Amino acid sequence: MTKRIAMAQLTSCWGCDQSLLDLHLGLLEVLPELEIVFWPAVVDFKIKDLESMPDESIHIGLVEGSCRTEDDVRLLNLMRAKSKILVAWGVCSCYGGIQGLANQWELDELVDRKFMKADTVTDPRIPSENVPAFVPQVRPNVDVVKFNILLPGCPPTSKNIVEALAAILTGKPFDLPEKSVCDQCPKVKQDKHITKFHRSHEGRIDPSKCLLDQGYLCLGFATIGFCGAICPTVNSPCKGCFGPVLRVKDHGAKIVSALGAIAEMEPEQLKDSFPDPIGSFYFTDYAASYLSRMRDKARSKKK
Amino acid sequence: MTGEKVVRIEPVTRLEGHGDVTIKIGKDGRVKDAQFSVTSTRFFEKFLEGRFAEEAPKFASRICGICPEPHHLAAVKAVEAAWDITPPAPAVKLRRLLINAKQFSSHALHFFALAAPDFLAGPFGDPAKRNLVAITKALPDVSKMALQMMQFGQELAAAIGGTAIHPVTAVPGGMLNPFSEEKRDQFLKRISDVKQWTTSTVALAKKIMDDYVDVVTKLAVGPTYYVGTHSKGALEIYDGSIRIMDTAGEIVEDLKPKDYRKSFAEYVPEHSYATHVYYKPVGYPAGIWRAGSLARINIADKMATPLAHEALEEMRAKLGRPVHATFAYHWARIIELVQAAEEIEGLLKDPQIVNNDVKLLDVKPKKGDGVGCVEAPRGTLIHHYWTDEQGLITKANMIVATNNNIGAIEKSLMEVAKQVFEQKAHQKLKLPKPVIS
Repeated sequence: MTKRIAMAQLTSCWGCDQSLLDLHLGLLEVLPELEIVFWPAVVDFKIKDLESMPDESIHIGLVEGSCRTEDDVRLLNLMRAKSKILVAWGVCSCYGGIQGLANQWELDELVDRKFMKADTVTDPRIPSENVPAFVPQVRPNVDVVKFNILLPGCPPTSKNIVEALAAILTGKPFDLPEKSVCDQCPKVKQDKHITKFHRSHEGRIDPSKCLLDQGYLCLGFATIGFCGAICPTVNSPCKGCFGPVLRVKDHGAKIVSALGAIAEMEPEQLKDSFPDPIGSFYFTDYAASYLSRMRDKARSKKK
Repeated sequence: MTGEKVVRIEPVTRLEGHGDVTIKIGKDGRVKDAQFSVTSTRFFEKFLEGRFAEEAPKFASRICGICPEPHHLAAVKAVEAAWDITPPAPAVKLRRLLINAKQFSSHALHFFALAAPDFLAGPFGDPAKRNLVAITKALPDVSKMALQMMQFGQELAAAIGGTAIHPVTAVPGGMLNPFSEEKRDQFLKRISDVKQWTTSTVALAKKIMDDYVDVVTKLAVGPTYYVGTHSKGALEIYDGSIRIMDTAGEIVEDLKPKDYRKSFAEYVPEHSYATHVYYKPVGYPAGIWRAGSLARINIADKMATPLAHEALEEMRAKLGRPVHATFAYHWARIIELVQAAEEIEGLLKDPQIVNNDVKLLDVKPKKGDGVGCVEAPRGTLIHHYWTDEQGLITKANMIVATNNNIGAIEKSLMEVAKQVFEQKAHQKLKLPKPVIS
């Protein structure tokens, strides 16, 4: 019997959808097992179709993106109510995603920059008709509703997605790996003697050696090993886009404490190396950090 | 008509992003308004502030999951312009290969997954069957070919960019990873398939255009301005200069990307979080323009490759220049697909593509600003960054490809809403028998 599946997109880039489509011929094997009941990116069902379904009538619900508007929050709650197994599809859904970095500012500053002060805007105004209100900050979806499965990644690879679907379809448990990106990386590690950090465009990279050993900020040691070490394999330092290794609650805090131990540098020198700690250590999961949660709390109090 | 009526489409489907449509019809049965509302935004312009500029290509790619490559490259070009850097020639060739790989996969995806279902199932077909999934059942050969085309483009993009979503190899001064001969050979082997698929797709697109000639030539055919990039008149997507054509087909401006603010402006509508980019000297709404495939084949005198140019000549023989018919976007997209395939073949056969000299070693950040412009599948894309002495971004401004089209999308919507609700034009159109029913 086919399983009823729904894919919903909150505020995001569509990359998780593209990653699912990138199964390509593999899609032809997966599709016969599924009855797609909602997938705006590909199929013509509307919100009212989703609303009219009985609760828990969808076997598998995948939610991509995070909540930037009140419509997103409504759709997230709707998907929870209609789905038996709800999957946080991608790093936005699990940890807020790159747009979580906007939490460094207040909503009025964000809106002001985009609609009132952009260089090319000729008639500034804040749109208010037929558009949903923004929420004050991005939160990980797991803080809003309960999920059954987390599938991090920016985006999760096609292989990650098909493995999760296969587990769900056959009733097997789906567990995230214990590994880190370093465990998957082909580069050779030696003793670390980091006395200076290089920026990613600097110098000559030795393609056979560990990027962190060479002084590049490669975050593989603190990042879940789920992608196959895509970036370090092509000499691009891991930015941590799949989120932290299992059981680490705050990705950036873990990175900072590890760097303190790894680098043979004075704390001040280390601090000067990273003038943008939030962008450097919380690429796609700032919304899930203690720092962002503290700001969130302070905001709520102010109100 | 008894009272005012509001038609809502929520959400618009088979589209990347978030859009709703609202059509307001008055008591007299006349269409009063047609709105296309983009219902979210993420504020990249703000949260890019304070970041290492060399990392911007990795932040920027996250703007779009279908077209991360153009964002990745527009961002790296902007930083290179700000820091006065010229990357080595082999790196530029790798980037050209990357953007053409994306153009190829995105155009295949757009044609087969987003657009073709309307034509194969017919505009009045069962919504449950008007999609790629139904095509895989009804037309297994076509869908297999479509999937293989997308796969080729995405795999080639991944071979250069590390991953197709989201690429990570472009840095100011070049590329982090050279292309190996072994990998190059793997893709060269597939070129004969690529050519065959492309030829079949051209034939299919022409048949669809012929079958739907009534729709193509009668629905949403209002003129607009057009914007796109070219190099010496030939359609160019990585490093062209910007050309603007008016509603009568006259070229009214040729400008360097760095001067974009003279001609590009954003109108902020009441009802959408996406701005409408338009031709500044003429004002809004007179200066509403379109970008993307149709705009590019309009502003370009010729295609950059021979087979694509033949295909363009054929289209021009039928529809002239400029082509205003909105549905002709699909034909234009396929002409560009041919160019992408030919560009890919040429670059794979270029010995420099496997050169290891792909990155400068002495790149220094500096204070300044720079503009990076490429053509994304859906239109002209501009990233403009300001950096401080340390190379941190202090300000960012972007013209995102799709926003070039939103004013025109609304204009088309209004035209079609009038045609449909006032004149019942959809009942009079000659339509072929649906292939999928």
